[in-house]
Amino acid sequence: METAIPQRTLLSRLNAVWAPPAVLDFWLSRLNPLWSWDQARARVVERRIEAEGVTTLVLKPNRHFRGFRAGQHVNVGVEIEGVRYTRSYSASDRPNADGRLRITVKAVQGGKVSQHLQAIPVGSVLSLGQAFGELAVPNDAAPCLLLAAGSGITPMLALVNAQAENGFAQPVRLACWARARAELVQAAALRALAASHPNFSVHFMLTGEAARAADEREGRIEPGHLAALLPGDEQAHVLACGPHGFVERARELLGERCLSFQAEAFSPPPRLVDASDQGRVRVTLLRSGRTLDIARNKSLLEALEEQGVTPRHGCRMGICNTCACVKPEGATRHLHDRGIQHEPTQALRLCMHAAQSDLSLEL
Amino acid sequence: MSKINSRPLSVDELNRFGEELDALRARTLASLGQRDADYIRRIVAGVRWLGLGGRVTLMAGAVLGCTVLPQLLWPLCIVGTVLLGLSKILENMELGHNVMHGQYDWMGDPSLHGLSYEWDIVGTSDNWRKTHNYSHHTWTNVRGMDDDIGYGLLRIFPEQRWKPFYLLQPLVAVVFALLFEWGVAMQDLRIGRWLAGRMEGRELWKMTTPVARKVGKQLLKDYVFFPLLAGPYFLPVLLGNVVANLIRNVWTYVIIFCGHFTADAEVFPKECVQNETRGHWYLRQLRGSSNLTGGRLMNLWSGNLSHQIEHHFYPDVPANRYAAMAVEVREICARYGQHYNSGSLARQFGTVVWRILRHAFPSKPGPARPLTVG
Repeated sequence: METAIPQRTLLSRLNAVWAPPAVLDFWLSRLNPLWSWDQARARVVERRIEAEGVTTLVLKPNRHFRGFRAGQHVNVGVEIEGVRYTRSYSASDRPNADGRLRITVKAVQGGKVSQHLQAIPVGSVLSLGQAFGELAVPNDAAPCLLLAAGSGITPMLALVNAQAENGFAQPVRLACWARARAELVQAAALRALAASHPNFSVHFMLTGEAARAADEREGRIEPGHLAALLPGDEQAHVLACGPHGFVERARELLGERCLSFQAEAFSPPPRLVDASDQGRVRVTLLRSGRTLDIARNKSLLEALEEQGVTPRHGCRMGICNTCACVKPEGATRHLHDRGIQHEPTQALRLCMHAAQSDLSLEL
Repeated sequence: MSKINSRPLSVDELNRFGEELDALRARTLASLGQRDADYIRRIVAGVRWLGLGGRVTLMAGAVLGCTVLPQLLWPLCIVGTVLLGLSKILENMELGHNVMHGQYDWMGDPSLHGLSYEWDIVGTSDNWRKTHNYSHHTWTNVRGMDDDIGYGLLRIFPEQRWKPFYLLQPLVAVVFALLFEWGVAMQDLRIGRWLAGRMEGRELWKMTTPVARKVGKQLLKDYVFFPLLAGPYFLPVLLGNVVANLIRNVWTYVIIFCGHFTADAEVFPKECVQNETRGHWYLRQLRGSSNLTGGRLMNLWSGNLSHQIEHHFYPDVPANRYAAMAVEVREICARYGQHYNSGSLARQFGTVVWRILRHAFPSKPGPARPLTVG
């Protein structure tokens, strides 16, 4: 995969004079919406339904995307009704020679982006971040246990396919939990792999339906499931991906049996606090690396100042935009209309918003 | 000065006035969506195509006009210069000014991000965000707080103390119009304070560095890079760029001066803004601002500063919404007995010119027009 390291070359300095990146991008994207001077973007080249409410998108990135390893995820940006939303999705297949990236998206109830992506037209262009994440199958002879719940299956598919490429040099056992059989992703392909590779097995755990096939079981993660995956006192490397509770339960149940334990939990919802404006929440200031407890009943600007932090500000009444800062996560409440904003934003006015949940700010 | 009769409002009326205007703001923000995103992207496209068209035409005029088709020199160079000037006007006013207010931050598009946008003018966006977004918009027409009152060069209001220097202001005003972008670039450097010995040279130097870098970049682009592309025929291209920048300077000056310096616009003393309520802030913005009639073309080419009143009420609401909001704003103002200052460009700018001429000479303020009762 091509590597593009941003650096201030003579060319980029010259370009900044006669045509800044935004201008170049305007003209490049007229020629081809995928082209950009410095932004990673990808075109949707194929869309296929994997299971009930689960869609795989095949993406063709431009040259600014630096590639990925199996088990990593990327931030995908999509514009809906004029607003750009960014969500993180795991690559659901290993890197292929075609340079394409596959992501598998499960429609979340009330999820604007996940529902939009189910029907996104082929040919649409999305913005991409660089791949990140450390999930990887350790390179040794011990067995590797892959535990996936719900859409936690996606990075596991990439890892399994990467192992399949070298014929499963070590034993790999995959267990996927889902509510119903119709929600299982790529079950047939996984079963076919298991049938042709003695070193690989797959198990489906259904929480809302009766088990029928030999490789199916019932119920949420429990000691019985794990005994079947890891008989006797055998030890294994464990990779778990799913909701926070699932990952924690797996860690607890396996305990000493893990040679190593890697987990990817879907970020827990911000610590929910009642709808009132009482109490305090935790704010992480990403640039200074500080964590503070601040009041919820006043503007973030005042609450931070109370704690001795003095963010840049101007009018203190929502006009001048001087105090706007990046909010990557957490919920805020507008002081006038009390509207709650969960989305990450590039420009949150500290003087007009109070903290609603724990949050982080680029300060 | 014309007869206007805005009645002073009681505290209770002021609060309701503010609430009604806030409600209009909330309704508008809740309805932002695809069409607003499409609008600003059309503006971006307009800026780019006009710019490209202007530069290509100018280049063609210079090269062809100096070689094989001398009869095309003037027509092509004039058309190219005007197109380039229009591109710069659209970029500075409808795109840059509005984006830098954070009007399109809700889109999450990094190229339309208010805090990082850099515009095509010698002044830095950072200085503008401070002098304009903060000082001018918060303390509009408050003496001693809003540096935009006469830009420290002109005496526009009788409330400003007269000095003999102001006798020259009819001339100063013309030079200032031609060099308006340089005035904007230098505004935050406070060279006056340095000259008066109230600021250290080192401090001035520190503030000058980013400005000088931006100036250098702009000069290199407009006066070196593009002219040199024409090789030996660089002169018409260079002159075209100079004139395009002048066209932009004069037009932005005219529009901006019509915003707060018309006959009916008012200035306020510092005491006026102590413990100011939201309703009072709205009322002060209304009394200190003036609109231009002229329909959609005027809205576009003035960067919607034809709706200066709405812009000052709602500086962070996308400007493409001002025309629709103005219908309701006008109606609210009428109900509260407030004059809605609006007129044609010729009429409004006529009164600005009159102010510049009249207040070059000593003058006395008229009777105070209180904003509130009691």
